Amino acid sequence: MTLLRVLFYFLSFIAIVSALYAASSKNLVRSIFVFFVTLFSLAGLYVLALADFVAVTQVVIYVGGILVLILFAFMLSGKETLNVLQKQEGKFLSMKKLPAILLAVLFFVVLINVVFKANADNLPWVRDAISLKNEITPKDIMIDNIGVNLMTRYLLPFEAISILLLVALVGAAHLSRKEGKA
Amino acid sequence: MNTYLIYFIVAIGLFSFSAFFALFGVYAERKISAFIQDRLGPTETGKFGSLQTLADILKMIQKELIIPAAADKWLFMLAPAVIFIAVYMGFAALPWAPGLIPSKINLGIYYIFAIISVETLGILMAGWGSNNKYSILGAMRSAAQIISYEIPAGFAIISVVMIAQTLNLQDVAMQQGILATEKIKFAGFWDVSGIGGLFSWNIFRAPHLIIAFVIYFIASLAESNRAPFDIPEAESELVAGFHTEFTGIRFALVFLAEYSMMFLVSMIGVILFLGAWNTPLPNIGPVHLATWTTGMAWGILWVSLKTLALVAVQMWIRWTLPRFRVDQLMDLCWKVLTPLAFACMLISGVWRLWLM
Repeated sequence: MTLLRVLFYFLSFIAIVSALYAASSKNLVRSIFVFFVTLFSLAGLYVLALADFVAVTQVVIYVGGILVLILFAFMLSGKETLNVLQKQEGKFLSMKKLPAILLAVLFFVVLINVVFKANADNLPWVRDAISLKNEITPKDIMIDNIGVNLMTRYLLPFEAISILLLVALVGAAHLSRKEGKA
Repeated sequence: MNTYLIYFIVAIGLFSFSAFFALFGVYAERKISAFIQDRLGPTETGKFGSLQTLADILKMIQKELIIPAAADKWLFMLAPAVIFIAVYMGFAALPWAPGLIPSKINLGIYYIFAIISVETLGILMAGWGSNNKYSILGAMRSAAQIISYEIPAGFAIISVVMIAQTLNLQDVAMQQGILATEKIKFAGFWDVSGIGGLFSWNIFRAPHLIIAFVIYFIASLAESNRAPFDIPEAESELVAGFHTEFTGIRFALVFLAEYSMMFLVSMIGVILFLGAWNTPLPNIGPVHLATWTTGMAWGILWVSLKTLALVAVQMWIRWTLPRFRVDQLMDLCWKVLTPLAFACMLISGVWRLWLM
């Protein structure tokens, strides 16, 4: 086994185990911190896939932004509220959880289907790219490529997302404003 | 196998450097604060008290490791390690001299920016894990402060990146001296490609970057939780903030992280704005000062000197200015620094298009 393969299995193992812990743990705060491990090992997998920009962005946005915000919400809500949330009544399988179980199982079936039907080892477009030498090597600098593509080919989605973020920003500012006297 | 051995040696070398720097930094901080407050500082241990911090660390190692009864044991134990490792990993992408960089990654500055933000998570871990009012208040203040100040710091960095057109820190460093492959102009009009020295540093290549540098420096003070932005550990309000409950070697790790962070942010500032490992001496006619003072050893010397100077300024500021209040802190960040940083970014774009 090459080092690359060892790293791949190691990172995927960590990702899966930590994700399982995050989902099953009764201690909510701890499961958030374990989720951080999941995200970090995913970033490692992105690096192995030569998507280093995606990996770093993953760390900036999820770890530096989203996880910290979730923790903020937790710490502002106090222990009593958390205890109510953490109390899991009833058995593992109950009527109340039916929709969740159904959704999870269906999604799992879809994923399994994708894995078996995709035949990732010889996708036509991947084979074409390899035969045309149109592939990324570890030495390539991808950031120019990403920038040019965002400003040309994917300009519309890029702008649409920026407007969505602006809407969220305005909404947040409006919600947090003090009520006027009128 | 040999290459892997080199990786390990580099990693251990960087760790011992940051540990050594923390020792030196604590001593320097004590002496500088003593000088500013007209005291003597440590004098007893060793000549001029120079062994004081060594004695401190020996005491620290021998201390009992206490875990509070109600603390979340795992979070509490792991937090100092996470805080330190986040800062330590940032050192991997910093260039020390021409051709001397631990890891030559083309995302350099972006990677450092990302990995530093992990420190926030470690601080929140410490705060929550301690199960102590002061700790959690300190941790929340720290996180709020770091997240807010990442924005002006980020835009100040972007305005440099727009001028340099690369995220690779070694390339950014290369552009600011006589080794540059492209044409370098002082303030947009005077070609200094062969002259180098002070004139080709980024802050003089595009003078609006002086403002960006000041913004970055203020924000970096806040990110490393230094005074006047040390409300996360405000002694008069919060005992010691998020590291109230830590003892012994864990407390030492938190301290190590703080001093490593000071060095790291100063060195990023030096690389981006103050010419990295390039000499401040220009080539004047037949006197090739810049050519004589460029090289491996000179590079390490220059970058260390500049970085230590910035660290000294950080200490000077800490012992001179009083602490900010929370609302003043946020006002400064969102109403002053962020708009200014945006303006710098805009000027950078115009500068790049019309003057370079």
